[in-house]
Amino acid sequence: MAGPSGAFLPPSSFSPSNLASVALSGQENSQGSPRSGSAGGVGGPAQGPGYGSPTRFPAYPGPPPPSGVFPPPSGGRPTFSNPSQALPPPGVQFGSPSQQSVSEGQQYNSMPQSPKSSSTIPQPPQFSSLNLPQYGAPPLSQGFYGGPPPPPIPGQYSDGQVGKYSHPPPASSYGGNYPQAQGLVEDFQSLALVSVLGSPDITVDPATLPRPLDGAEEVKPSGNLNCHPRYLRLTTNAMPNAQSLASRWYLPLGAVVHPLAEAPPGEEVPVVNFVGTIVRCRRCRTYINAFVMFTDGGRRWRCNVCSLLNEVPVDYYCPLDENGRRRDADERPELSRGSVEFVAPTEYMVRPPMPPVYFFLIDVSLSAVKSGMIKVAAETIKASLDKLPGFPRTQIGFVTFDSTLHFYNLKSSLTQPQMMVVADLDDPFLPLPDDLLVNLSESRTVVDALLDSLPSMFEKNLTIESALGPALKATFMVMSQLGGKLLLFQSTLPSLGSGRLKLRGDNPLIYGTEKECLLRVSEEHFYKQMAADFSKYQIAVDTYIFGERYADVASLGVLPKYTGGQVYYYPAFQARFHGEKFSYDLTRDLSRETAWEAVMRIRCGKGVRFSTFHGHFMLRSADLMALPAVDCDKAFAMQLQLEDTVLPLQTIYFQVALLYTSSIGERRIRVHTMATPVVKDLLELYKAADVDAITFLMSRLAVEKTLQTKLEDARQACQQRLVRSLREYSKLLSVQHRSSNRLIYPESLKLLPIYTLAILKSLALRGGFGDCTPDERSAMGFEIMTMSIPRLLKLLYPSLIRLDEYLIQGPKADGLAGLPTPLAVSSGNLDPRGAFLLNDGLRFVLWLGKGLPTEFVKDLLGPEVAFTADSSQIAVVEQETAISKRLMSVLQALRQSCPAVYQLCTVVRQGEQPREGTFMLSNLLEDRTAGANGYAEFVVQIYRQVSQLS
Amino acid sequence: MASDLLLWLICFLAVVSLLGILVYQLMCLSDLEFDYINPFDSASRINAFIVPEFLIHGALGCICLLSGHWLLFLLNVPLAYYHINLYLKKEHLLDVTEIFNLLDREKKYRLAKLAFYLLLFFIVIYKILIAIIVL
Repeated sequence: MAGPSGAFLPPSSFSPSNLASVALSGQENSQGSPRSGSAGGVGGPAQGPGYGSPTRFPAYPGPPPPSGVFPPPSGGRPTFSNPSQALPPPGVQFGSPSQQSVSEGQQYNSMPQSPKSSSTIPQPPQFSSLNLPQYGAPPLSQGFYGGPPPPPIPGQYSDGQVGKYSHPPPASSYGGNYPQAQGLVEDFQSLALVSVLGSPDITVDPATLPRPLDGAEEVKPSGNLNCHPRYLRLTTNAMPNAQSLASRWYLPLGAVVHPLAEAPPGEEVPVVNFVGTIVRCRRCRTYINAFVMFTDGGRRWRCNVCSLLNEVPVDYYCPLDENGRRRDADERPELSRGSVEFVAPTEYMVRPPMPPVYFFLIDVSLSAVKSGMIKVAAETIKASLDKLPGFPRTQIGFVTFDSTLHFYNLKSSLTQPQMMVVADLDDPFLPLPDDLLVNLSESRTVVDALLDSLPSMFEKNLTIESALGPALKATFMVMSQLGGKLLLFQSTLPSLGSGRLKLRGDNPLIYGTEKECLLRVSEEHFYKQMAADFSKYQIAVDTYIFGERYADVASLGVLPKYTGGQVYYYPAFQARFHGEKFSYDLTRDLSRETAWEAVMRIRCGKGVRFSTFHGHFMLRSADLMALPAVDCDKAFAMQLQLEDTVLPLQTIYFQVALLYTSSIGERRIRVHTMATPVVKDLLELYKAADVDAITFLMSRLAVEKTLQTKLEDARQACQQRLVRSLREYSKLLSVQHRSSNRLIYPESLKLLPIYTLAILKSLALRGGFGDCTPDERSAMGFEIMTMSIPRLLKLLYPSLIRLDEYLIQGPKADGLAGLPTPLAVSSGNLDPRGAFLLNDGLRFVLWLGKGLPTEFVKDLLGPEVAFTADSSQIAVVEQETAISKRLMSVLQALRQSCPAVYQLCTVVRQGEQPREGTFMLSNLLEDRTAGANGYAEFVVQIYRQVSQLS
Repeated sequence: MASDLLLWLICFLAVVSLLGILVYQLMCLSDLEFDYINPFDSASRINAFIVPEFLIHGALGCICLLSGHWLLFLLNVPLAYYHINLYLKKEHLLDVTEIFNLLDREKKYRLAKLAFYLLLFFIVIYKILIAIIVL
């Protein structure tokens, strides 16, 4: 209704200055309108001639909108805005009651300003301009539009694409995509909450809820000089200018750093080899970057971070052109690119660059033998020896242990490795001064011989004890000379020597008490001390934990946590079923490019300080992260604080520098720089919010919170953040918007509710005692603390695709593009006649409905196993049928799209308890489960909490 | 009375050493904050003096108890209890891995203890003066 009124605005009323005077206008994508179909009919037919599709610009009565400023509307979701003060000129025709077709049960109270009651009487014209139009089509059926769309309204019409800003970019637009608008023209979205007939409850139409179904959006660098967001991303692409403003931003304020993120071919970080020393600011040590200003004819440069004027070294001098830009700027990547990698001279070394060191510490007690872990590990290591980076400098060593420690002399002159047993666990010593850690290329034959014989050597081992603590101490003695990577394969609970661990976590009564969080932290101080020592001597620990029963992942995970390592957990490991996954993960761990003895620091402009850091590393000084080894699968999060009450600057610069030794033995510094505008308005902050980064930080904060408090408290804290921020946001908008039955949220944060719900329901925070074992919970916590943004989002909102038709008919396009469209992760989408694949990036679950034709199942899984009672015994292997081959190629393609871990495919049949519950139903996050809300209920709950006290 | 003076002199030494330990630990913490030393050194230096501090404080309390200075003893009981509790829970040592997250708390904790020891210090000085005058 407002649409038509706006259409008759005089053309002069849509100049930017006019817009700026508009106090507030909503541009609403009214997804939740339950009357979307008929709403179109209200305004639509009343328009008469000239009312065509949005692309029909000539039909527009006024002059066409200035191109480039007001993008023409496209099909898709119509989104409207209307300046609330713009009154329609008299004579506007509105839909008559007879043109309205309102069906039963449709609620008008979802209209933001509908006068008082749910009346079917059309709005009087004088109200129309205040009314937010209800043209929204159901979001899941794009193009469905109950009537011809209204004419384009310049200045008030976004291009219909979610995520674009509709206001005119002012002259001071930043980096081309961030307008510092003067008026508070704002996008927002809202969800209608409808009353349930005959009950006081309100509910929300599940079809209208926003979902990340299109997959992760490709993020683009903002501004051409900024580094790509895959390396450095802020939770909001604008900095608050004052502490008072920051304190009203209840979401995390910080950055996500993924310094070694894998770049697609052609976008690799350029390497710069400086002739002299690397040019850096004298005071704040910022590396020279694309944002520095050269002055004085090119003889000096002003640091963008601390504004200090520095001299340009003689051999780096270059004259400036007429714009004050260096003439050689385009040839120098450090002056034209956001990410560069400097080759560091000797000043950046405290010792010669270390070679890649891989040390294997393998538990060979009974359970390790029985599960087949040793065999898979030995075979995988042997197969990976050629892929280890850093040939020919790579060093390698082995220690195995059960109740004693076994060392292996791998001296290159030997033909067979010599095994030495040390039984002194109180004070372990090294039986040999060297040759325990040897150069791989020299001792290759001995290493091969050891790996060949390792599985058979311990075949008959019946020891159930595990002396992990002494083994770690001994390994530390071997490795402390060089540092490197320690791969620990642990299969039982450590039971001898220091670092003994107890069985815990089997007491359900502890949940809900203050002691609950102790289950999730290390109980033994030994591991923290050991981790600190490892970090000090540049040793990174990756732990592979194979628990038949309780393995205390929480305690063992402390080692990777402080050394930049990673936790791999294989519950109830059996080589037959999980060997493939373990083998892939280990191969990737051994072969991926790794940065050694690294330190990372993030610098930022004056007035801002990074205060807390979250991830797997150890802080060596207040802002220096020590990373004995770091690779492309590790991301880090950090929160920042405003130090001054008011920020004097217009732009804040951030620079991440990672100093590391590459596997080829070169010292390098990878530098990512980005600039962010400072804003003084909260709406601007919301507009620039990056929901992916916010989710990332929130999940890490939530996981850390579980280490200090009860799960319930951690969930509450996480939910409170969402509620507070939405409440603050709705406070910003006018009273009318709030009073209606709508949950209002910024366009940029439309996915935050579902992601928050997903965090609450993730394995790390879910439920209580009965929902998952403490080990699984801890392992997921460690996983979340290392993974990158795309992987986390995948984990939080898995993709659910229906496969049966696809498998029968074959792909319509190649690769991932040909896959069926993902469905909402809800049991409502599961069809008993279908086969569905749930992919959360860590594993695949293949759900087979009861009504699937038996032939299909037979073809898919093979005739022998298809009907075994226990589907846990089914391994998905390729059969001689087209269906099976297609399935395997789908799985293959999906695995390639997420190479960080191997996704094992688990088969689950409908109605097969408890497997269906654990693997499938509990992961359908939009469903209501015992003790946890479904998506719709969650939104209602959030709405209630937002409306309280607001 | 000479014995009284001797007693107070011993207390004086104990309190001065407690003050010294606290000041040293605070210095280590602020050095760490300003990046003069690394966390490993800082933590090991601080941790080296934690148990001695507890022992000295315990001994001080015992001296007060044995010499019949009930009020002074009672003044020391809460802290001694707190120390024993920390020790039994094995939380008395500074955690080097989390030292930067604990920095503020540890500093406040030590400043509070410093204030308490200063109070003891003045009491002991006063007692010494009294003892000297009586002598």
